[in-house]
Amino acid sequence: MPQGPLSGIRVFDMTLAMVGPWGAMQLGGMGADVIHIEQPTATGAGVPPTINGTSIGYIAWNMNKRGLTLDMKSPQDRANAYELLKTCDVFMMNMRPDVAGRLGVDYETLSQINPGIIYLTITGWGQSGPMRDVPGADPQVRFFTGFHQGVGAEGAPDEVYRRYTLFDATTGNYGAQAILMALVARKKSGKGQRIDLSMMRAGSAVQTPRIAEYLATEQEPVPMGSQSQSTAPDRAYLAQDGRWLGLSATSEAEWRGFCKAIQHPELIDDARFATNADRVDHRKELDAIIEPAIAEYPVDYWRLEFDKVGVPSNIVIRWSELRWHAQAMQNDYIVPIDTKAWGRVWTGGPPWQFSGTPGKWFSTPGIGEHNDEIIAEVQELRAAAARSNTPTPTERA
Amino acid sequence: MAGPLDGYKVVELAEGIAGPYAAMELGDAGADVIKIEKPEGDRTRGWGSKAKGSVGAIFRTINRNKRGITADVDSDEGAAQVRRVLEGADVLITDAGWSKHPDLQPEALLQRNPNLVIVRFSLYGKEGPWALQAPYGELAAQMASETTTNLGVITEAPVRIADEVGQMFSAVNSVQAVCAALYARDAAGGQIIDMSLFGSLVVIRSTMWVGLSNPDFWWGFHVDAYTKPAHYGYKCSDGFVNVQLGRMSRESRDQLYKDLNMEWVKSDPLFSLLDEDTAGGNGRYSHRVHHLWEKAFAAFTRDQVYDIVERNGGNVFPKNTYEMFVNSPQAQSQELLTTVPTPGTGDIKMMRPPWDFGDTEASIRRPAPSLGEHTAEVLAELGVRA
Repeated sequence: MPQGPLSGIRVFDMTLAMVGPWGAMQLGGMGADVIHIEQPTATGAGVPPTINGTSIGYIAWNMNKRGLTLDMKSPQDRANAYELLKTCDVFMMNMRPDVAGRLGVDYETLSQINPGIIYLTITGWGQSGPMRDVPGADPQVRFFTGFHQGVGAEGAPDEVYRRYTLFDATTGNYGAQAILMALVARKKSGKGQRIDLSMMRAGSAVQTPRIAEYLATEQEPVPMGSQSQSTAPDRAYLAQDGRWLGLSATSEAEWRGFCKAIQHPELIDDARFATNADRVDHRKELDAIIEPAIAEYPVDYWRLEFDKVGVPSNIVIRWSELRWHAQAMQNDYIVPIDTKAWGRVWTGGPPWQFSGTPGKWFSTPGIGEHNDEIIAEVQELRAAAARSNTPTPTERA
Repeated sequence: MAGPLDGYKVVELAEGIAGPYAAMELGDAGADVIKIEKPEGDRTRGWGSKAKGSVGAIFRTINRNKRGITADVDSDEGAAQVRRVLEGADVLITDAGWSKHPDLQPEALLQRNPNLVIVRFSLYGKEGPWALQAPYGELAAQMASETTTNLGVITEAPVRIADEVGQMFSAVNSVQAVCAALYARDAAGGQIIDMSLFGSLVVIRSTMWVGLSNPDFWWGFHVDAYTKPAHYGYKCSDGFVNVQLGRMSRESRDQLYKDLNMEWVKSDPLFSLLDEDTAGGNGRYSHRVHHLWEKAFAAFTRDQVYDIVERNGGNVFPKNTYEMFVNSPQAQSQELLTTVPTPGTGDIKMMRPPWDFGDTEASIRRPAPSLGEHTAEVLAELGVRA
């Protein structure tokens, strides 16, 4: 089954912008037939940069899909949508809560058409509450959920990550999780279900360790540069060649290896540094020993020494190198993909490697590129249903 | 209502954040999770501010919904015990190099149980010069994936994004993969799924990589932010906010300047840049006019800035602390938090699982185990004496 684990699953992807499209793209990369539904007036323009009328986001968030345009306000297109939905396993949308009813794709309607449908809605803030109707986008949700807390240089205010998409992608990922869990549950129950997800709760879930610490102590984390809040030694140190080496010793075995590598084995028995909690409490004293030690040799020396003792370390690898880096290329974390609007782009590939069902990553479709092909499939289904006079099968699991 | 993964058995041979959080999510979704720790315990037991004399909040939170046993996983006896626990398991979550015993390597375990879905976390992935290193180097992965270049001040020391983000991203991706593999298992059997911190940190920034593919067209807020100074939001008299002006009419824009008492800005040499700026820190020249906005906002509180900007058609969001966030009416309306009774510690506050399933509800059913708490119980279930 080399097509990917979701081979045979069909997704009706009525999502916009990034959060929904990203989640659907993940399902497509695992072999689902993802049909990206757009308005006939859609253009693919949007956030800059835009090349040949197509936005960076449209290219990056809609790989692994087929493209279909439908005007859900036209009776004929809506009938085609419903026919298609009978063959789908998953429905996804991320519009404001009231839009689904207006477009005839509310859960009540769709679950009658197809009781096996797994129906995911993604909102910014949830289906209720005072902020229900407030538009929610990645930066707003990051500000609201405190993603900046404890981030930044020492002594600086809490710093905001200088680009978008981390929470869009995270929410899309949690949404894909929920869809997949419901697909697993459907194998036993035979039934679909509705799932609601908000960016607020997905974005805070990905901060679980930090928020757990806050809830336990009622103390807000304070910016500490490259330093970990919870463990020591776990930060970047300046090496002899003027480059920063990030390293982490987060278990007792790694700590012992670290002391040997920096040729300070006496630290192993130093009571100030006996446990991780002690090392965190005595960070300044610890750094007073480590900083001059690391400054004695260049990063390449330390990379080898720390590898030998199992202490993870690395330097910043900039994009110009990362895009060709063996570690990124050989694991398909970076893949070159040929696109119509942008030509060849380098983009992220699958974050997983399946030994049995690898799946594949393929180029973003044009808007409505597969209209003829998909509508022909729908008409064939309609004709077949008329011939047999029985409902089309919805459960193909 | 049982969770969507009710009836599935998950075994965790992992530690740190990634593996345990992934197993926790499967447990939240209803799976029966057995966590196997080495005799010295998961390293996160000693992490964080509550580590002295008790177990840290991070450990307690990401190990809920699990039963815990201990085993000496490098010995023959321990490996045999672990294999007994793995009998009948559907999913194994493990870390590269976690056990040195040949019988506990993923390939050997898959051979023994061809229906097992195995996740193996590593730092940089399965292939390549840094293949299959243990997944505990969060900072190394953040730096190697250049995640750190969008923070801090250019030429100064690197700044890490919130401590455990690479492990969290990878864990979240792994749960997607596990559920997909469980879905496919009838036809495809079990398999090994390789995940890495580096991989998830690289992949989540795909938008930027696409933009940087074409060096002639690289401008855009997804792409050029790492050429800019650190961004803290916009400072008002009582704290920071995020502003998002969006597209405004000429009239609204002029009214905004008037309401903010900043009509002086029209004679500033940078006015033409400011007049095009949507604020939010994401415009091409937002950083060059940031101080002009802040000069105006300094005369107002956050609430006043909120009122003025919103009534002219823009959006303002507070830069919340965790305290502000968890106590906000919106977070409370979504019942963000719950309490988990924990023997010997009292109630522990945690966030609920993020998904709202209509039929198969996710839930928190038990607190994190103490070290080896369920060893006898689990072995008795398997007909083995501890």
